[in-house]
Amino acid sequence: MSILRNAWCLTRESVSRAIFGAYPLRSYRGDTSDDMTDIKQIPLPPWEERTNEPLNTKRARLLYESRKRGMLENCILLSFFAKKYLNEMTEKQLSLYDKLINQPTNDWDIYYWMTETKPTPPEFDNEVMTLLKEFTKNRNMEHRAGQPALDYLFEDKK
Amino acid sequence: MAARCLAAARDMIPAVSRTAARRFHFATYGKHNKNGAKVSNAISTQYPVVDHEFDAVVVGAGGAGLRAAFGLSEAGFNTACVTKLFPTRSHTVAAQGGINAALGNMESDDWRWHFYDTVKGSDWLGDQDAIHYMTEQAPAAVIELENYGMPFSRTEAGKIYQRAFGGQSLQYGKGGQAHRCCCVADRTGHSLLHTLYGRSLHYDTSYFVEYFALDLLMENGECKGVIALCMEDGSIHRFRANNTVLATGGYGRTYFSCTSAHTSTGDGCAMVTRAGLSNQDLEFVQFHPTGIYGAGCLITEGCRGEGGILINGEGERFMERYAPVAKDLASRDVVSRSMTIEIREGRGCGPEKDHVYLQLHHLPPAQLAMRLPGISETAMIFAGVDVTKEPIPVLPTVHYNMGGVPTNYRGQAINHVNGKDVVVPGLYACGEAASASVHGANRLGANSLLDLVVFGRACALTIAEVAKPGEALSPIDPNAGEESVANLDHLRFADGSTRTSELRLNMQKCMQSHAAVFRTGPVLKEGCEKLSELYDSLSDIKTFDRGIVWNSDLIETLELQNLMLCALQTINGAEARKESRGAHAREDFKVRIDEYDFAKPLQGQEKKTFDEHWRKHTLSSMDPKTGKVTLNYRPVIDTTLDAEDCATVPPAIRSY
Repeated sequence: MSILRNAWCLTRESVSRAIFGAYPLRSYRGDTSDDMTDIKQIPLPPWEERTNEPLNTKRARLLYESRKRGMLENCILLSFFAKKYLNEMTEKQLSLYDKLINQPTNDWDIYYWMTETKPTPPEFDNEVMTLLKEFTKNRNMEHRAGQPALDYLFEDKK
Repeated sequence: MAARCLAAARDMIPAVSRTAARRFHFATYGKHNKNGAKVSNAISTQYPVVDHEFDAVVVGAGGAGLRAAFGLSEAGFNTACVTKLFPTRSHTVAAQGGINAALGNMESDDWRWHFYDTVKGSDWLGDQDAIHYMTEQAPAAVIELENYGMPFSRTEAGKIYQRAFGGQSLQYGKGGQAHRCCCVADRTGHSLLHTLYGRSLHYDTSYFVEYFALDLLMENGECKGVIALCMEDGSIHRFRANNTVLATGGYGRTYFSCTSAHTSTGDGCAMVTRAGLSNQDLEFVQFHPTGIYGAGCLITEGCRGEGGILINGEGERFMERYAPVAKDLASRDVVSRSMTIEIREGRGCGPEKDHVYLQLHHLPPAQLAMRLPGISETAMIFAGVDVTKEPIPVLPTVHYNMGGVPTNYRGQAINHVNGKDVVVPGLYACGEAASASVHGANRLGANSLLDLVVFGRACALTIAEVAKPGEALSPIDPNAGEESVANLDHLRFADGSTRTSELRLNMQKCMQSHAAVFRTGPVLKEGCEKLSELYDSLSDIKTFDRGIVWNSDLIETLELQNLMLCALQTINGAEARKESRGAHAREDFKVRIDEYDFAKPLQGQEKKTFDEHWRKHTLSSMDPKTGKVTLNYRPVIDTTLDAEDCATVPPAIRSY
C-alpha cells in the first residue's frame, strides 16, 4: 500500500498538471501592466448546479448563502434582497439566482455588478440580476443596517 | 490513468456518503482511509453520526485555514478542511489592504525594522519570539505566494509594488515612512484565497463545505478531532484526527457597529472555551478608524496610504495634533482614539456631530480609480457620497480581534499551568482565531494577511515535525460529541420567550455602549452585569425553524451561543484590566502600567511584581453552564528567537 502511495505521490504532480492544466511559475517579469490580461489564472473547478434538489430546500439553501457572504456589503444587500424576493421566485429565477451568487469566486465582483461599477458579464445578465441592480439602487432610501431577522419567514404560520 | 484512479477511489467511498445532494470538491475522502467512513449509532439514533478518520482536520477555509490545509496536504497528510462557507467566500476575501514584507522594492528595507514596528505597534504586549518569526519569514512568504501565482501589483520596473501603511517606519522609527505593503490592486484577500484554494486542489485536501463545526472532541486534555453538522442533509460528522487546526476567524459580530461579515461569530474561540481551555487577550478589540457611518462598511486604510486625510467639524486636519510625525498614518488605535476624542469634545461632523469626515477629493481621480477603485462605490451605495466631490462620513468601527486561542510561535495551542506554558496535545490555531501573539494590544494594518500565511504555514510545518502521515488514531469514547448533539437538538426545538434576533441585537448594543473605544470602570461593570443577564436568557431562547436541512435559524442561534461566550470574556477582561494599552483605552486609567515606568529613567526604580503591573496576557475561561468568567494571567515573551540576529526591543513609551 505504501509503495503504491509513494508511486502516486511521485506521479501526482505530472498527473495533476495533466488534468488541471499548468499553473504559472512566476518570477519577476519586467514591464507588466496591472490589467493582467496576460496572466493565466489558476483554474478552479467549475461550479455545477445541483440536480434533484426540492424547491423548498433550494430556497432554504439560497437563504443561508445570501446571508453568509465574504464581506459585509454583500451580507447586507443580499440578505435584504432575499427577504424581499426569495420566497416569490419561480424555479427558473431561483436557478439564475443560485448561479449568480455561487458561481463567481470573488464576492467583490458580484458587488461591482450589483452597483453597476462594472458591467455584468452576459452569462449573469438576466432578470434576476436586473432585479438585484434595481434593488441595490435603494430608490426608497431604506436604512439597511444589520440583517433582517429571520422571523419574517414564519410570520404567516402564526 | 488518473481517471481510472479517481474512479477506483469513488468506488471505495461507502454508500452512506453517496447521497445525491452531497458534493465534496475533489473529495478523495476514503481514498487513504483504509476503513472508509462509518456510520455510528452510538450517540443517538435520531441523529445518525458519520465517523471520518484523517491525519489532520482544519476548521475554517480562510487565508490561514487554506494555507494550513494546503501545507499539510503537501506534506503528505490526509487532511480534511471543514468550513461553513465556500473557501473563496471566507471573510479573507474582504481584505483590500495588502501584506507587509520587508522586500525593499521601494527603498532600502530591513525586516528588523518591521519587527521593531510590530513590537511597538503591539504596545509591548506582543510575544517577541512570534513577531521575530513572522517578520523574518515575511519576504519569503510573499515570494512564495508570488511563485504560487498570486498576481501582485507591479512597479514600472517590474518589481512588486509596495505602498505605505500606518505604523510602518524605517530605521527603527527614525527613518520616516516605510513602503512595505504588497498588494493585488485592492483585492489582495480574494487573490490570496483564489491562489491558495487553487493550489490546494492539486493535492488531496478533502473539503467539507457548508459544514458547521460544533465542538472539539477532547479526551483527557487532548484534542482528538471535531464534530460538525452538515447543513445540506442535517447529518452529524465526527472528524477524528491527531491534529486539529482552528482557523475560524474573529468575533466582530459581538458589536453593533462592525466591519466584519455576519460570518465572524467566534466559533473557534467558543469551541475552545467549551473544551475548558482559555482564550487570550479577548479585551483587545481593534476599532478601525474609518467604517462608514451607519452601515459599518470598511474604508480601507490604504486610502490614507494613498493620501486621504481626516477632517473634523471645523474643517481641521486634526491628526496633526495627535500624531505630529505620522499624522493620518499613525497606527489605528491612535487614530480611533483621536477621532473619538474629537467627537466627544464637540468637534464632530453631521447634524448630530457624531462622526468625522474622510476626505479624498483632493487626490487625482486617476489615482483613486487605479489604486482604490472599490472605495468610490462603497461610499456611494451606503453613504450616498461621490468621493471626487465630497468627504465620506466615518466612525471607529470594530474591525479585528487581537485576542484568541493562545499559541506559541509554532502554532501549537497552549495552556498555562503552574506558571508554565504547556502545549495542548493535538490542537493548533492560526489566523485571527489565534493569539500567537504577534499583534499584542494592537494590530498594524497589513500585518493580518501576513499573520495568516506565516502561521498557517507554521501550523503545517509543526505538525509535519511532530507527527507522521498515517499515524494510528487512539480510540475515542463512542459517545464523544454527545453533548454537542444534545445542545443542537435543544436549540432546534427551543420554544422560550426570547427570539434569537432580539437577543443578538441586545447583546450587540450592550457591547457597543459598554465596551467600545473608550471604556471606564462603572460603565464596564454595568455592562458585565447586563451581559450576564442576557447570557442567562439564552436558556429561554425561541427558535422558529424545526427542520434540520439548511436551517439558518438554527445556525444563527448556534453562532449566537458562540458570540455570547466571546462577548462575556471580552467585557470581563476589559473591566479587570485597569490600564490603557493599545486598543484597550480606559478613561479612568489613562496610562500603561508596566513593570517599570518607562517614561522615566529606569535607574532607581523598583520593579513591580507580576500582580502589580499589567504587561501580561489575560487568559479567560468560562463555565458555560453558569456564565461565570475566570481570569488568569501569563507573562509576555520578551526574548526573540535569536538574540544576536534580532535584539529584543525593550519597552518604551509609544508615540508616533
